[in-house]
Amino acid sequence: MAEEQKKKKKRRTATKAASSIGPMVKDFIVGTNRIRAEGKQKLAFTFIVCHHEEILRAMDVVPIWTENFAGICGAKRDAERFLERAESLGFSRSLCTYALCGIGFDHWREELGEMPPDAPWGGMARPDFMISTGQILCDPRAKWYQASQQYMPDVPIYNMDMPYPLYDRTADHREVLGYYHKYVVKELRGLIDFLEKQTGKKMDYDKLEERVELSDKTWNLIHETYELRSASPCPMGTGDAMNTMVPMCFMMATQETYDFFTGLNKELKEKIAKKEGVIENEKYRLLWGGGLPSWFALTDFNYFNSKGAVFPAETTYRMVTPLDEMDLPETSDPVEHLAWRWLGYWTFWYDKARKRPGSEPDVERLINYIETYDIDGVVMHEAFSCRTWHVGLIWQLHQLAKIYKPIPVLYLGKDGKQETGHRELPSLILESDIIDISSYSEVDTRNRIDAFIETLESVAKDKASVS
Amino acid sequence: MSYCLGIDIGSAYSKGVLMDDRELRASYYCLSGGDFRLTADKIKKELLSQADITSKDISRTVATGYGSKMVAFADKEITDISCHSKAISTLFPSVKTIVDFGDLYSKVFLIDGKGNLLNFLLSGKCAGGSARVLKVMAKVLQVNIENLGDLSFKAKKDIEFNTGCAVFAESEVISRVAEGFAKEDLLAAIHKALSAQCYSLAERLGIERDFALTGGGARNKGLIKAMGDLAGMDVHVPDAPHMTAALGAAILADEALKRLEVRGQNFFVDK
Repeated sequence: MAEEQKKKKKRRTATKAASSIGPMVKDFIVGTNRIRAEGKQKLAFTFIVCHHEEILRAMDVVPIWTENFAGICGAKRDAERFLERAESLGFSRSLCTYALCGIGFDHWREELGEMPPDAPWGGMARPDFMISTGQILCDPRAKWYQASQQYMPDVPIYNMDMPYPLYDRTADHREVLGYYHKYVVKELRGLIDFLEKQTGKKMDYDKLEERVELSDKTWNLIHETYELRSASPCPMGTGDAMNTMVPMCFMMATQETYDFFTGLNKELKEKIAKKEGVIENEKYRLLWGGGLPSWFALTDFNYFNSKGAVFPAETTYRMVTPLDEMDLPETSDPVEHLAWRWLGYWTFWYDKARKRPGSEPDVERLINYIETYDIDGVVMHEAFSCRTWHVGLIWQLHQLAKIYKPIPVLYLGKDGKQETGHRELPSLILESDIIDISSYSEVDTRNRIDAFIETLESVAKDKASVS
Repeated sequence: MSYCLGIDIGSAYSKGVLMDDRELRASYYCLSGGDFRLTADKIKKELLSQADITSKDISRTVATGYGSKMVAFADKEITDISCHSKAISTLFPSVKTIVDFGDLYSKVFLIDGKGNLLNFLLSGKCAGGSARVLKVMAKVLQVNIENLGDLSFKAKKDIEFNTGCAVFAESEVISRVAEGFAKEDLLAAIHKALSAQCYSLAERLGIERDFALTGGGARNKGLIKAMGDLAGMDVHVPDAPHMTAALGAAILADEALKRLEVRGQNFFVDK
């Protein structure tokens, strides 16, 4: 890779909390290598948002979030050599590039018997075992570790299946929720059995309950904290949220994460009191409506900011919903509670979507954020290598246009009289990838952003002419 | 005299339009080449020469297009989408939906009756949805690109074709040539497939009457007909569709100049 392309401008953060994330991640990666060397704790490759962190932490197992490490390689613009290595092993570039990066890295590390040269932040440690956690659509979550196991045949895999009922407008999902709950509980108990065998320790259920309670408390705190971003001017944007997702997605069920969000909550309240926004002259409020970010191009958020646009909300990596609104069945069994919370999270928008003609859960979530955060336009990112999170984005915008198009807007007519017209919410789809920088063009991306800003300007002008 | 210059540095061709109080005084286009800065200078020099004026006579310059940031002498950069919208709404005030067949992308945008941009969509990164595919086909079939449209009208057989990817489309054409299909039939199929791809983009945004085509691809009669057939309505096309963005840039430069003069700030304009 050309040196120039590797050089990366540092993204400006609006909050002190977000700027503390870089060292936190580095400590985490360095820490896993230290644990590997000491050999006192077990290390597990695994995936985020599977509601099993509490189990891992209660068993004193240290998770290595393999997607996170690929993201770090991407953010440091150092993923290409690992992607190329995976390609040389016969994996297509059009597969999940997180997986390709991880497989390429694992192969290289195993071949050398040590970390690849200049591995980002010391590299991804060899695991003691791997926990696959497929999420309905994401096939790489089931297949990635099987592929890596070719190069680490002594490392066992536990493949955990975590389904949830799919949305059906004509049926109440509660009718089948009990079956799903039994299944998910069985999968989580299977994980506990697997971990007990691997670690030689028994699960301490009191410890698990403590971890679950801490997580639940943190969920509510994160929800409350992110709601603060609805203030105008917006005190924290999506650029920062792509940092604060680290404790939310990689360090749940820890006191450190609870303390982090307590600090962020305080910081945002102080900013709101001082009317201190992400930018001085906030003109447009945007929703990051879907898609994982290009980790190598987070400075694009600064570019939006330079045009007067902020992102008070995003659907990506907002992996919590308010627990008190989920109506979870009472249980004294922490494993059963985790399963209920899992199902409650994925079905959270179902009831609301049923009440609105033309809506669907994903679209309903967008509508709620658009209204809560007073949004002027929606931005999405289509990452070519990730089907799971990116399939359906265009459809969501299409549905959104149906919902918003009928909203009448008053225009100032030629004779000075007000006329009724219709306006849809402007939207922009960026195209690139999560970590494959060869898919990205800064000029092209910024030309698109410029055109989008001009569209927002035009809409704002019309609104002003009405008032 | 208040000369305004609009300059569009596109990925394949660059264009310039010089206006004097909304009156067209000069226009020029050339290949963009490998140095956008030099190309912009070359266009400016040519326009000055055509109008027999000097650089000091130009009151305001707006740059647009893929390489607009490279136009060092521009007072402002405005995206080609806004420039197309401005020019089309000036030429055809009833138009609400515009399709721009560019070399890098095809774009669809909705405008209101005043030329304000409402929403837009771009074709994917693949060249399959852009006018570039026509150039590729002209080369493969060894046909002058200017004659593609006329030749497509002489088609006798209906062939199904896929332009999802320019590279695959090129291979497909070569295979069809080997199978003995006539180039006229192949060209008609390519026009149909390309227009279908752009039309589906327009449908995603929601087509509103009237409908206009612009950009270099809109010089092709076959594409205009194919789009008109799909839309089921007449399509408006400017006389020089490849110059539309540059024209819009010049109009926007003129509008900005007049706003500045109204505000009494014309002293700050470098004359």
